[in-house]
Amino acid sequence: MSNKLLEIRNLHACAAGREPKEEILRGLSLTVEPGEIHVILGANGSGKSTLMNVIMGHPGYQVLEGSLEFDGEALQPLKPFERARRGIFLSFQTPEEIPGITVENMLRASRQALTGKPVKIMSFRRELHSVMEELQIDASYGQRYMNVGFSGGEKKRNEILQLLLQQPRLALLDETDSGLDVDAVQIVARGVKRFHNEKNACLIITHNTRILEQLPVDKVHVLLGGRIVAEGGAELIEKIDREGFGSIRDAAEELQGK
Amino acid sequence: MAEKIYSEIPMRTWRWLGVNEARGEETVDLPSQDVRVAAGEVRELTVAYRQEGQSSLRARVEAGGMLKLTTVQLVPGSGFFGGDIEIYLAEGARLEASAVEAGAGQSISRMRVYLQGDGAQASVYVLYFGDGDRRLDMNYIMVQEGKNTEAKLYVHGALLGQADKIFRGTLDFRRGAKGSRGYEKEQAVVLSGKVRNRSVPLMLSAEEAVEGHHAVSIGKIDDSKLFYLMSRGLDLTEARRLVVEAAFNPVLDRIEAEELRQELQTYIKERLADA
Amino acid sequence: MENKEKTFVEDIERTLYDIRNEERAAYKSRQGLTEQVVRDISSRKDDPEWMLERRLEALAVYDTLALPSWGPDLSSLNMEEIVAYVKPDAKMAGRWEDVPEDIRATFDRLGIPEAEETSLAGVGAQYDSEVVYHSIQESLVRQGVIYTDMETALREHEQLVREHFMKLVPPKDHKFAALHGAVWSGGSFVYVPEGVQVEIPLQSYFRLNAPGAGQFEHTLIILEKNSSLHFIEGCSAPKYNVTNLHAGCVELFVGEGARLRYSTIENWSRNMMNLNTKRALVEKDGLIEWVSGSFGSRVSMLYPCSILHGENARCEFTGVTFASKGQNLDTGASVIHAAHYTSANISTRTISKAGGQAVYRSAVKVTPHAHHIKCSVNCESLMLDDISRSDTLPVMDIQGDEAAVGHEATIGRISEEAVFYLMCRGISEDEARAMIVRGFVEPIAKELPLEYAVEMNNLINIELEGTMG
Repeated sequence: MSNKLLEIRNLHACAAGREPKEEILRGLSLTVEPGEIHVILGANGSGKSTLMNVIMGHPGYQVLEGSLEFDGEALQPLKPFERARRGIFLSFQTPEEIPGITVENMLRASRQALTGKPVKIMSFRRELHSVMEELQIDASYGQRYMNVGFSGGEKKRNEILQLLLQQPRLALLDETDSGLDVDAVQIVARGVKRFHNEKNACLIITHNTRILEQLPVDKVHVLLGGRIVAEGGAELIEKIDREGFGSIRDAAEELQGK
Repeated sequence: MAEKIYSEIPMRTWRWLGVNEARGEETVDLPSQDVRVAAGEVRELTVAYRQEGQSSLRARVEAGGMLKLTTVQLVPGSGFFGGDIEIYLAEGARLEASAVEAGAGQSISRMRVYLQGDGAQASVYVLYFGDGDRRLDMNYIMVQEGKNTEAKLYVHGALLGQADKIFRGTLDFRRGAKGSRGYEKEQAVVLSGKVRNRSVPLMLSAEEAVEGHHAVSIGKIDDSKLFYLMSRGLDLTEARRLVVEAAFNPVLDRIEAEELRQELQTYIKERLADA
Repeated sequence: MENKEKTFVEDIERTLYDIRNEERAAYKSRQGLTEQVVRDISSRKDDPEWMLERRLEALAVYDTLALPSWGPDLSSLNMEEIVAYVKPDAKMAGRWEDVPEDIRATFDRLGIPEAEETSLAGVGAQYDSEVVYHSIQESLVRQGVIYTDMETALREHEQLVREHFMKLVPPKDHKFAALHGAVWSGGSFVYVPEGVQVEIPLQSYFRLNAPGAGQFEHTLIILEKNSSLHFIEGCSAPKYNVTNLHAGCVELFVGEGARLRYSTIENWSRNMMNLNTKRALVEKDGLIEWVSGSFGSRVSMLYPCSILHGENARCEFTGVTFASKGQNLDTGASVIHAAHYTSANISTRTISKAGGQAVYRSAVKVTPHAHHIKCSVNCESLMLDDISRSDTLPVMDIQGDEAAVGHEATIGRISEEAVFYLMCRGISEDEARAMIVRGFVEPIAKELPLEYAVEMNNLINIELEGTMG
């Protein structure tokens, strides 16, 4: 039995159906173990969101080379919903609006799909409302259509709500904290903290280091041009905070030059 | 002279609405034009119609070519004008058209744009202005055949006096036009209680992978806008004129021929003052 | 006497055959509907004299009118054999075994209880319905509400019927209105006196009509001042009819300050030509609410019309149309603003798939001098594949400068991003698509009585099953 929850080896990927194929991820390797919190830093266009989408199996991306494994199982043959059922969760950078489907109905359908068991309406509603309260989401949002007319902050909290209800083994958080005010960041951070335990793991993309102050970060990866160019512990966050990506880019270019 | 059908709606509907076809007296033929824009070429063409009769214009824009077309109908008096424009766009070809309908006692105009090649783009801006007992009949049809084409049809109009106007605007997505987008918007300002205003925005689709949107808004001038302008010292007529001019500017601003643009501005100003 | 009657019947039979033979020989499109046929229907129904006159007038109009020059192709409708549709058909009583396989399968999947299956197939179950009907009726009767079938209404409330019958939909309206006027049979009659609020929705479901009455039924509803009613038309389950033409007529009179909600889910069998005419006249401060779902039939032409006749009269129209394989569903609405301060809201959703053609067609007319008019139209179309069609054809005809009219329409397909999002939450691809489609029609579903909304969802599920992904 492998102790690795997620293992990505030499991953090359591009946008699907586009010619000529232009690699967005160019030989990326990454390993996440249970109980860990990983952070991915990188400038815009470095491939961060693509990585998240590829892990989740977005049909808009194509894996050209390399492998992805979750708990020892190859991910590539699996559809997104099968990956979700294995325990992977993606918090979207821009959550989709789905008119006509209420938050409660969607989350209940999701619970049912994930567990394969019928979900009792009333007990699920109680559970939903208690988590909503924790995230300071008004209970009335349960009857609103999925993300329709939600503010940016409300959409993000709705994602964390799903994270807590879904209890996945691996949470991919794609800029879940962006566009939030200070209070909202606190709420999101608390939510992630509550979710995290020694059995599950988080992979976080963020621009905002404030959220990381609340979380015990194990590893930091710096993504540049579709590759990881630097890795380290939490101290790397401070360094980039201070110096920006410039120094790392220089170092990486130097490395390549050799 | 006998009456004839100048143009027809792409899909018929209830007869009592009177929008299925455009009928007018037969008239004299004006010289027609046939234009060919070569691959990669950019051509500007400005046509001002100032004579009664019927006129036609056909243009073909080859791959990557671009046609900037301005047509202005300023036929004086109460005569008849029939205009028929047909444009074919090859792969990556573009059309930027501005059409102004402001003259003649009765006008019937039709424009058909065929976006045949992949990635063809057309944006058509229409301005209509009806006053007195002018009758305007317009039939604009954008046929999207190629993949990833984009058609825009933006229409601004004002109606005064006892004007009677029909505007039909069609977005027609043909099978295979995957990835195509089409937008149509008509905004009509009505300035008189005796106007008849008919709007027919059609959207036809035989392809799922498209995005189409059309919208029509018809109403009188926004009272709060008028009030605002009047609180700045303008009288009612001036305020109305300003609001209508503002509505027309998106079209007028696109007319590059300075003299023609000014002529139109003056013309509309005068007609509004008379109303 | 008995003998005479028999001869009479035989004569008609012979006449019919003669006409048909003659027409075939002459290659002429003469409608086989004769005065004799109409007189026969009238006498069998024991019409009052004035009704017979109206039928004959309608017949005369019918002969002068042509088929509509627009809309779906009706050429498969054999007008020469219109009599075959008109003539009561013994088979109409219907046995469950006669119901086509696909419809029976639908029933099974819908989980319609056996009792309801019987009620669809046979006359016997009508008694079950009658019980329910009567229990509703007793409480209403005390308040003066009349709810009965058209034939009874014609006998017991002749004056009311005479004043209103085909006043909103005159036979000269179109060929099928004229046909209806000549051969109508069956239907519902509702009268709600001033100030009475009917709390329970009345359902014509409970009023299965006599055999043969199905295709030309007439619904007449009169709401007096400040009364209210919710009327649900039709059986929610798929209707099966051996004939293939339905030309019903619905006339709704909404009095001053009255409120009427008229809900329909139509799911005719796929061989049906559904050419139904529905119209409402709304007086001052009155409200008509249409909730209309079109799922069945091969061809539909259905555009409920609201005439806003009194000041402040309002219309709310909510419709959904789902055109699947072999269907051409041409639906929509029309509104006539004939008085000041009238307002209308039209909101529709159409879906097309598997080669189906859905058309949204509407007309908004503002008559001259009507001021402070508000009308907004919103229609959204969803296409599920690239072999289907979806067309939108609204007309706005506005006279005067005191109307604010807005129209908006979109067309598109299921967002792949939304599908991905739902899949990321563990929901399978097929179910994700079905959820999005259900969400698309949700604004309509939520206007329906619960059991109808549930059934609409089931119908969508059945339609989507195995065709997506």
